[in-house]
Amino acid sequence: MLTHKRKKVPEHVDPDLPIVPMLDMTFQLLAFFIMTFKPAPTEGQIALALPKEEGGGISSPSPIDENKPLEYVVRVEATDDGRIASMSLIEKGSAAALPKDLKADVQTFSNELSKISQQLTQQNKTGKLTLEIDDKLVQAYVVQLVDQAIRIGFSDISPVPIDPKKR
Amino acid sequence: MSHGAASSDKCEPNFVPLLDLVLQLVMFFMLCANFVIEQTNVTIELPHAAAAKILDKGIEYAIYLNVNSEGVVLLAPSDQYTDSQGNVISTLNNPDQVETFLKRRARDDIAAAGPGGADKPLRSVIILRVHKNCPFEKTYGIMKACRRAGYHRVQLRALLVQPD
Repeated sequence: MLTHKRKKVPEHVDPDLPIVPMLDMTFQLLAFFIMTFKPAPTEGQIALALPKEEGGGISSPSPIDENKPLEYVVRVEATDDGRIASMSLIEKGSAAALPKDLKADVQTFSNELSKISQQLTQQNKTGKLTLEIDDKLVQAYVVQLVDQAIRIGFSDISPVPIDPKKR
Repeated sequence: MSHGAASSDKCEPNFVPLLDLVLQLVMFFMLCANFVIEQTNVTIELPHAAAAKILDKGIEYAIYLNVNSEGVVLLAPSDQYTDSQGNVISTLNNPDQVETFLKRRARDDIAAAGPGGADKPLRSVIILRVHKNCPFEKTYGIMKACRRAGYHRVQLRALLVQPD
């Protein structure tokens, strides 16, 4: 006679996972990160070409080349505390002898460069911008001027000191 | 009046959704935590620029020059060295010292480049972190020193801002 073995039904056991200590630890971690959280501003980079020669200034005129980029020079004078005192714009090799006064206003600088950029685009030419900067001007203003010029569309920007002979 | 039989079931709050949420928060703050890079100096207040580009993560070899408001280069602990008199050099006070320091690094770059390394461009990129109140005269002197040491690739660091 066959005997049927009864399958043993396993007893139902509730798994007991101790969540409370884990929760305690997690809250501690959360508190730590909340207290140390400081959203820092993101750092960015501006690629620069290093100075090639001593001093800045305008070199002697060269023969006219149609493909040569037009060169613009902005001279920036500074106050004793390193702010912008005055700015003037000249086009290198241009017939206009007098430099254009941009005052100490970055917005005027920006507007003038925008006009030049538009003209260059219409003429299908490129432009080179030289910033002749007073020794005392602080980095914040140097970066501000370079930043404005890049945003307007200039890619060839050279910050150089003002040639002492041309002061 | 009759009272029902007292229930013997335990009443436990459900912690699992709470734990899920808290762990997600922990993950968020862990990912957002800014770890100070050893070679950057937190005392340098950078100027702001909207045209600055997002940092290139592909730069393998970089030389950080942290320039304070007086134009002094503060060397990271890993870049500090001992001079011939046994003094530990942790700051570079003038362009000549910057040039000497960079020439040492340039020699390492040339040696790492192998045979004919002197003819190849130096592998390191100079990262200039200049304080916003540093006069241009000092910055320009450091840039010229980089050039004299043979470096051509330079990045100026600024804090990214939204354009007006």
